[in-house]
Amino acid sequence: MEQEEEKVSNAFIPSSLSSFDLEQVLHALPSNALNHLFSLGVCVRCVLRLFGIKGPICASVDNGSENPLDSTTSNEAKLCNICLGILQFRFYDDREKRVLQKDTAYDVALLIADMVKQERYQFDTFSLEVSIPPLILQNETSVWSYMQKKYGSEPWFQEKLHTGCISIKDALKFSLINPLENLLGCKSSLCPFRIRLTYTHTKALEGVAKCSENDGSCKRRKTGESDLIGQRPLSSTVEIESFDSSKLFLKSASEPCHFSYNCSRTPFYFGGRYLKYSRNVSQTRWIIDDERMGEASVEEIIGTKVLQACRGDNYKFHAAGREDIDVRMLGPGRPFILEVQNTRLVPTEQCANNIEKMINEVENKLVRVKNLKLVGSDGWNLMREGEAEKQKQYAALVWTSRPLKDEDFQQVSSLKDLKVVQRTPIRVLHRRSPLEREKIIHWMKIETVAGSSQYFLLHLCTQAGTYIKEFVHGDLGRTHPSIGSILGCRAEILQLDVTDIKMECFLT
Amino acid sequence: MSNHVIEESTSSATKELEQKQEKEKEEEEDEDDELQKLLLPDVSNLPSTPPSAVESNFAIYFALDFMKPGHDQYVYRHANGLCVIGLAPSHVSFKDEGGITAIDFNVGKSDRSGVKVTGKRKKNAQHFESNTALCKVSTKNDSYIVRCCVKGSLLEVNQQLIKQPELLNASADREGYIAIIMPKPADWLKIKASLVSVEEYKKLREVS
Repeated sequence: MEQEEEKVSNAFIPSSLSSFDLEQVLHALPSNALNHLFSLGVCVRCVLRLFGIKGPICASVDNGSENPLDSTTSNEAKLCNICLGILQFRFYDDREKRVLQKDTAYDVALLIADMVKQERYQFDTFSLEVSIPPLILQNETSVWSYMQKKYGSEPWFQEKLHTGCISIKDALKFSLINPLENLLGCKSSLCPFRIRLTYTHTKALEGVAKCSENDGSCKRRKTGESDLIGQRPLSSTVEIESFDSSKLFLKSASEPCHFSYNCSRTPFYFGGRYLKYSRNVSQTRWIIDDERMGEASVEEIIGTKVLQACRGDNYKFHAAGREDIDVRMLGPGRPFILEVQNTRLVPTEQCANNIEKMINEVENKLVRVKNLKLVGSDGWNLMREGEAEKQKQYAALVWTSRPLKDEDFQQVSSLKDLKVVQRTPIRVLHRRSPLEREKIIHWMKIETVAGSSQYFLLHLCTQAGTYIKEFVHGDLGRTHPSIGSILGCRAEILQLDVTDIKMECFLT
Repeated sequence: MSNHVIEESTSSATKELEQKQEKEKEEEEDEDDELQKLLLPDVSNLPSTPPSAVESNFAIYFALDFMKPGHDQYVYRHANGLCVIGLAPSHVSFKDEGGITAIDFNVGKSDRSGVKVTGKRKKNAQHFESNTALCKVSTKNDSYIVRCCVKGSLLEVNQQLIKQPELLNASADREGYIAIIMPKPADWLKIKASLVSVEEYKKLREVS
């Protein structure tokens, strides 16, 4: 390998450096600070991080190679007091249930890649996320401000440290990204497929981690679970009163962190409209006392097919409003969004088309789906927007206690934007507030039924939230006016169908 | 020569567009027809008199001679547990000439029409026993106490009756209902044993 003639500084170190050059890099750093850090029990990678040295030097440092500056046992035998073994690739593996010591970042990446392949996810890119215990940041802040205090006046301090240190998360990601990209065969990027690495520490460091330039303020920061603070800006702790008693206490950690890793995909959303042809199918799963109401539910009919096709973990069904189990949903259908979580496959438009076909080709034709496609976050806005203002259209099969005449039809058709006051219907009074709700019936039209003078189809268009059944039979007079009161007779409703939901979304 | 070709191609383009529009219109009409077919009922399958909303949605019971002879009341129980209370057709008050002329909810310790029940949890609802007085109905010469019949929380009384007591004479079984009570499941089971069904009522009161 060629040695680059570049001056070793905070600049990017080219990948061709071998561990021989690690020695060179370390020699370029101020030896007093370096030794001090090592004596504090800081590992090589953390030292390099603190000095802001980026580059593959971080990756190429083999845990097997000894620290050339330390003649005694290398720091690698002891757990680093800042990263608690994270950057030394030592951890308690939650899957294997034991402490592992890996030699290189590549070996760690191997573990992760194996896990990903096991789940058989389909992906062409991945995003790596790391979570570390807040304890570590606290330690780092302590060391950092201590260093600043001790060496702040030295000339090299400003030059070496002005780039600031590289965070543990960044250092870890940096060392793992390339091997992972190689092992998984694709680049990393911000995307829905997330590989998550979580480090936790079960026991907080006992005792106090403090920089005792200011004993008073540090006593507040006793390390206990409840006191763990998140990341503090590095500058906040430098409130130097006296240089005298500059001691730094970091209790050695006895155990490495717990390391767990998994991958998942953020949810995908399918949007469309559904029709319900059955009077025995509820919109959502409805179970009372272990018994299912109705023979099926719209959400299950659609959800299970989507789940199957995408190999997801579970689904959530969201619809723009709902209809009773015995009410059919016809016409253009009701808009809905189906959220599917942690899909193993990446859903595509073709996938949506196939799912739609599968649902519609089922033999018993209880439910039909239209315009199914993938939607982004704008799908939610489309659906929720004006949900309360949208008008709905219905067709009700009504019976009257006396035969109707032309004048009756005229009278009903002439009523435009009729205000009705509905007290909470008795059938929902057990779970809704007793209120009076004013609703508007925009228009009505009576369609005669051949062969009967007392049955007819009532078409009506109403404000969202209107109880149609109660408008027909009057709910013991608690909905007023009602069809019965308008026509001066008793009216009963036999069947109800929703014939239109006047909303803009998912129409194509 | 070229003009002729251009003319032909534009006319075929417009023809295509027309055809597409026609097809869309046809599809729309087909959908409308399909909808129509679904909506229209088969008259031959419809009963000449369908069951009423009360009959379809409630289980109907009667309390006969409740605490006093002739004081017959009905209890409509919905599947959700709520009970609608009212005067049965055989109630003694209907036998008086002129029927019921007034109703007063101010009985017992409070005016039953005054309480405001709010919220899903039905706050402020008064808890009554089955023999608690609900209201007093008056005829020309007499007055009768109507009682809860069911132990539970009083959710509402029919305010319309105050302004229109004639509803009791015209349709005591519907718009003339008196109150809605929410019993606990255990309390319902206890009282259910003393109520009679529609068939039994018809037999006992010799109503058709």
